[in-house]
Amino acid sequence: MSCPAERRLRKELLELLTNPMPGIYIDEEKVAKNINEWIVTIEGAEKTIYEGETFQLQFSFNEKYPFDSPTVLFIGKIPVHSHIYSNGHICLSILTDDWTPALSVGAVCLSIRSMLSSATKKERPPDDMIYTRTCSKNPKKTKWFFHDDTV
Amino acid sequence: MGNCLASNSTDDLTLLNGRNEGPRESIDQEPVLQFQENVQPTYSQVGTTVHQSLTEDEQIKIAKRIGIVQHLPISQYTHENFQSKKVPSECDICMNDFVVGDSIRYLPCMHQYHVHCVDNWLMRSLTCPSCCEPVDASLLLSSFENV
Repeated sequence: MSCPAERRLRKELLELLTNPMPGIYIDEEKVAKNINEWIVTIEGAEKTIYEGETFQLQFSFNEKYPFDSPTVLFIGKIPVHSHIYSNGHICLSILTDDWTPALSVGAVCLSIRSMLSSATKKERPPDDMIYTRTCSKNPKKTKWFFHDDTV
Repeated sequence: MGNCLASNSTDDLTLLNGRNEGPRESIDQEPVLQFQENVQPTYSQVGTTVHQSLTEDEQIKIAKRIGIVQHLPISQYTHENFQSKKVPSECDICMNDFVVGDSIRYLPCMHQYHVHCVDNWLMRSLTCPSCCEPVDASLLLSSFENV
């Protein structure tokens, strides 16, 4: 990996460790082994339908970060949400089309946590079965259609 | 218009090839010359990889985009910038602090970044990384055509 991406990731890591964001925890050991693979634990926010639950996000960065977006997916227990497929893929525009280099791991986590918080019922996307059977392993290879800004 | 575009694309190809001579002879306007000299090191690397693998159409598209980006103003980060609270102290792309003497590019929305950081992004998307405001391509293109 070239230096600029790594330098920026180290900056982000330092910032998140010195000023932690509520409900968002970085697996420091994992990041220390490989700066290009992060595991972030997200706590369901209070007074939402995910309160008391925790989920894990996996971030993978390539050498073009932050010009290329990270690959982000849920691993382990996948939250039941209308924009999250049962294989962990997330339908969120900032992860592909609307990514900009001014976004960061923190901004993505915040956005995903807020996406969880605004949900009113736990349901899978309507095309979950077909999508998970036919999609690529890499969510960035999916051509997403973003049609619902409410959740 | 024809001449203007033609002269731009020759210059841009020269940039792509990473040669030093060329822009100096074909351009007589001082300000443009300055921009090109500033920008040259940034693009030579992008250009050489692009040069071999892309079709002519794609190369023209990239050359035009370089032309647009070059017209966005650059200035040096000064001690006064450093002291005033109006100018942000870090580049949102690399997240490093601006250092006095750094070359900063100003987008029309007045967001500022290191030239090498934002140029790398603008070659992918003509939008501001912070506010997503389009770097108005049509406006800039029409100003080219009116020259």
